[in-house]
Amino acid sequence: MKNFTRKELARYNGKGKVPALIAYNGKVYDVSRSFLWKDGTHQVIHNAGEDLTDDLEKAPHGADLLNKFPVVGKIHED
Amino acid sequence: MAKVAREMVEKSGVNVDKLLELLVKNAAAELTTYYYYTILRCNLIGLKGEGVKEIAETARIEDRNHFEAIVPRIYELGGKLPDDMKEFHDMSACPPASLPADPTDVIEIIKVLVAAERCAVRGYTYICNLTAGKDHRTYDLSQAILNEEIEHESWFSEFLGEGPSGHFLRRGETSPFVSKFLK
Repeated sequence: MKNFTRKELARYNGKGKVPALIAYNGKVYDVSRSFLWKDGTHQVIHNAGEDLTDDLEKAPHGADLLNKFPVVGKIHED
Repeated sequence: MAKVAREMVEKSGVNVDKLLELLVKNAAAELTTYYYYTILRCNLIGLKGEGVKEIAETARIEDRNHFEAIVPRIYELGGKLPDDMKEFHDMSACPPASLPADPTDVIEIIKVLVAAERCAVRGYTYICNLTAGKDHRTYDLSQAILNEEIEHESWFSEFLGEGPSGHFLRRGETSPFVSKFLK
């Protein structure tokens, strides 16, 4: 499983043909297939390439929704 | 555009351009859902399907009402709908509520309906959270829509045996919460 620094994760912003990856609780998920992550943006405000651990605490859904997306790596703290 | 109304929302700390993008995406979700629900409703037939048809029709009409109620708020805040209907469809906040591969499978149709309502419930909860105590009018509107979306979710989820919600199908007028925005 690949280790991502936050800088590396930021490259996967879902724009164009770049995969949309997001981090939650140390794991990196590929949400490229999701309709709700088109163009690397979710609900206008959340962007792919970011660690959304804090944002998810305030979201109107649980982290369990991430279970349907593949884990492609983990966050490696710089 | 309601210039001062927008100014007040901006001053409260809400990013109005982002809010407008959200409102347009949710307006798109309502109108496309109205379209897709038309197809779902037509396919709710037979002994199982006919029992669901009435609430599917109510949800369909109320989703159209939601679209009608959101649009004026978009223009008040200085936003607009896209000129291109195809573009509007594709920017929807929720996935298309498409007819399942087997259109005779009523349970699969109900799953599509529940998923669409759940997406809407999350979307309006999000807008309520964003505007609470800041943009009173958008909050009031989103909360009214949210009330109806929650009832829709409850109606359909009961058919999937997820437990009672205490709701009954509409009696009288549709959109008891949103109708004040339509007058």
